[in-house]
Amino acid sequence: MSYPSLAPFVMKRPWLQKIFKPLSNWYANTAGYRQLGLRADDLIIEENEETILALQRLPPQASYDRVYRLRRAIQCSLRHKLLPKEEWTKPEEDVPYLTPLIEKIRAQEKEKADLDAMTIVKNH
Amino acid sequence: MFSRTALSRGAQLRQGCSLVAQRRGYAAGSSAPASFTYETSEQSSVKIAARNFDSPTTKLAIVAKGGSRYQPVPGLTAGLEEFAFKNTEKRTALRIIRESELLGGQLVSYHTREALVLEASFLREHLPYFTELLAEVISQTRYSSHEFHEEVDRVIQLKQVRLARDVSALALDSAHSVAFHTGLGAPLYPTPSALTKSYLNEFAIADYAGAVYAKSNIALVGDGTTSNALGKWTEQFFKAVPASSSSSTALNLKATTYYGGEQRTAHTGGNSLVIAFPGSSFGTFKPEIAVLAALLGGQPNVKWSAGFTLLSKAAAAAPGATATATNLAYSDAGLLTIQVNGAAASVRKAAEESVKALKSISEGTVSKEDLTKAIAKAKFDALEASQSGISTLLSAGSGIIHTGKPFQIAETVKLLDGVTADKLKTAAKGLTDGKATVAAVGDLHVLPYAEELGLKV
Repeated sequence: MSYPSLAPFVMKRPWLQKIFKPLSNWYANTAGYRQLGLRADDLIIEENEETILALQRLPPQASYDRVYRLRRAIQCSLRHKLLPKEEWTKPEEDVPYLTPLIEKIRAQEKEKADLDAMTIVKNH
Repeated sequence: MFSRTALSRGAQLRQGCSLVAQRRGYAAGSSAPASFTYETSEQSSVKIAARNFDSPTTKLAIVAKGGSRYQPVPGLTAGLEEFAFKNTEKRTALRIIRESELLGGQLVSYHTREALVLEASFLREHLPYFTELLAEVISQTRYSSHEFHEEVDRVIQLKQVRLARDVSALALDSAHSVAFHTGLGAPLYPTPSALTKSYLNEFAIADYAGAVYAKSNIALVGDGTTSNALGKWTEQFFKAVPASSSSSTALNLKATTYYGGEQRTAHTGGNSLVIAFPGSSFGTFKPEIAVLAALLGGQPNVKWSAGFTLLSKAAAAAPGATATATNLAYSDAGLLTIQVNGAAASVRKAAEESVKALKSISEGTVSKEDLTKAIAKAKFDALEASQSGISTLLSAGSGIIHTGKPFQIAETVKLLDGVTADKLKTAAKGLTDGKATVAAVGDLHVLPYAEELGLKV
């Protein structure tokens, strides 16, 4: 994950998920980014190596759309206005598109660190 | 008097002796030791060739019919070569490299005009690991976009820059393109001027991989391993490899025709002139051509000497130039090339002398001594190439994928003995009377035209 989260813990337990799902929906809607037409992954901090690399690996269309959403949101923010309601991000549109890439890069880094730090045990 | 077991043991021993004697007789007759020949078999429709000598190391290679002549659009072979040993479905490129480092193995991928080779060298006991790895690389590589942009494409561009400075490679490439137009005429490595950008992407490479890495299109060649061991592990690990082409891309399988002609390219990095004639191929081996190449020679046999072959004499007249003759054999065509490198004026002089030397052979001025020397040299070259080095795996593998059996040195060596002065004269006359191929790269003001050299194009 690119930000600390309890989500995996909650998602594993259906009863907990039942309780938290309405709460998380309420939170996401209150957070206000959907009203600016953004997705949750647009909020990930860009200024680190992993995210820069992940952004480079985005398909061209996804990258273009991301820039469009950000510029629209900044414009809204400057005008102190929200988007018209039909342009808000719908919950089903709010999918992680960058997090999987970042996770892959992290896994690779971890694998490299693990291989660098391994000790060889000869079994003969 | 004798017990029955003792008698039968004697019979067994004698049987064993006669087997050994037979084997030895065959080897002596062909003047190539039995251990030089590859044992071929087919395991779950993968063609396998193995030869076993008591070495502690093993070389295993997948030779695929996917060299630059088979690529439907430029650059795919180079792309596929660079994609070897990258991320697969099971493990990452980093893990592949680290694991084989831990086992002391080496992984190489390279291509020629006809074959694409993935090769692993390792200690004998690690055969299962590397057989699995090669099978995994050809069937489960991911061909992901980010690897293409971050690694493959960059390496290809760097190699293109290096190639652009190498005049002798450029001259050979342009000689091929003039001689064969498409197919074998395609540049070995995409030149920077070739418009690869519009053809080369990870999806095209993945498609091409589906066409190239099919069981019917590859051969698994092992040096220093037994056929049984290799067969056993192949059966286990090569299940995921598709039996026939699994993609929409088709290989460019057009048969080769020799055209001939002339091409001149200006270049500031040096001077190189290639004079080429139709040569001997794997399919139809012409012993005269092999002897002719040895007779022209050019490569010194001892240190600090230019040697006594015809081309070294020709080059001696033009200080600073080197001239060498080689027969480049492909499955359905060959190219006998004389390549002259050096300063422009020396190249011109040496080229003129070389053509004179070739014409003198066609007039029958070759002495008996020279002919004997040339035959011996041609034999040595063939046997030495089969004994060591990477070309063995390559030649055995390309023999299998093109003709169904490995290139047999024994037969070659026997044919070389039958070359006479008359045959050589006819062969040389045929070459000089036919259409030649001349490719000049460098200072075009000085480098000669084919017509000036006295060749028809």
